[in-house]
Amino acid sequence: MPAVQDILVFFQTTPALTSPAVAWARYEASKGPISDLTEEDEPPYANALAAMRDGWEVLQMSELKHRSAEEGYDLGPLPYQTVLSKFNEMQEEE
Amino acid sequence: MNEHLISSKQMAQFVASGYLRLDEMVPKELSDACLVEMRDHHFGYLNVGASFEDTWPKGTALGDTFRLPQVQGLIHSLVGPDPLYDHHAAHLVKGGQTRGPDMHQDSVIDFRENYFDIQLSFFPVDTPDAMGGTFLVPGTQYRSVRTGEIHIYQHMRGKIWATCPAGTIFVWNTGVWHGARSNHTDQDRYMYKLRLNPTRPQVGNFDTADLDDPEIRQILNTNHGWEGNEHRYELMRRVQMWRFVSGQPDYDQGERFMRRIEYRPQAEGVAAG
Repeated sequence: MPAVQDILVFFQTTPALTSPAVAWARYEASKGPISDLTEEDEPPYANALAAMRDGWEVLQMSELKHRSAEEGYDLGPLPYQTVLSKFNEMQEEE
Repeated sequence: MNEHLISSKQMAQFVASGYLRLDEMVPKELSDACLVEMRDHHFGYLNVGASFEDTWPKGTALGDTFRLPQVQGLIHSLVGPDPLYDHHAAHLVKGGQTRGPDMHQDSVIDFRENYFDIQLSFFPVDTPDAMGGTFLVPGTQYRSVRTGEIHIYQHMRGKIWATCPAGTIFVWNTGVWHGARSNHTDQDRYMYKLRLNPTRPQVGNFDTADLDDPEIRQILNTNHGWEGNEHRYELMRRVQMWRFVSGQPDYDQGERFMRRIEYRPQAEGVAAG
């Protein structure tokens, strides 16, 4: 089976690659879409750097946000994310 | 009514975490009757924005449930007297039905300050973990997003879900991020949701006898696990809401972050001596 791209996204409250992942998502082409989400209390790695040490490559890290007086206190989505990539062998979809 | 109002500490939990869980609030017999109505007599939307008391059906199990004194006390504590009907829905996740990522915020993005709607989620049957009760991410109610765009948060620290006995009600700020979970049993899972609006500013509608309880400070300061570097900005938003609902416009706590952005020396300030 060919190797295809798996994506792991970490959402953080600072842009540092050592910032703890407070939310996370997997888009794994090797396994297909998630039709039955299993709860996870902990991310697969504590932070992006730990994932990099396991062979994940960083595709995107966040830049700092400018904070204006009008928007400086706005809340909304989690502010920073790191996108990680790894190629894995394609599996049959369940 | 008064004996069924929530305490100030419970109100502080609602302000900090966006929800309250009230186990077995609805008696078993009434819960069973509600289940029959939800299965067999589903009714469509009522007159959105009409008086809840005038528009909500009477003489039915669901009509009686949301008029129980303890439920009325809960509603009054959060949205005050004479609330308006906004929305209701009987949610069904069939036995064996699975769900993928489903995190969302209800309805439309909403930036109203000093205002919140409530939703009551009523679980008429025992809802064990495997049945997949609704999940919530406590504390997210001040983070406005566009409905389903947060599906991307498949997992999040601090997430909780309704694993509860029949008759339990979760009441929550409609801004809380939430979603449905897979039902791995062979039994259908039901949840009944009712949304209400206030008709006047939501100030001091709860039991304020314990308003000065020192534990309130800790409750407002709760860390749910996902806040990280954002925690003090979350705390500031909670303090703003607490000022409003408790009628204490100068409330602040700890390092007094609100003072940090509000303090201004007087124009005629005291001359340096």
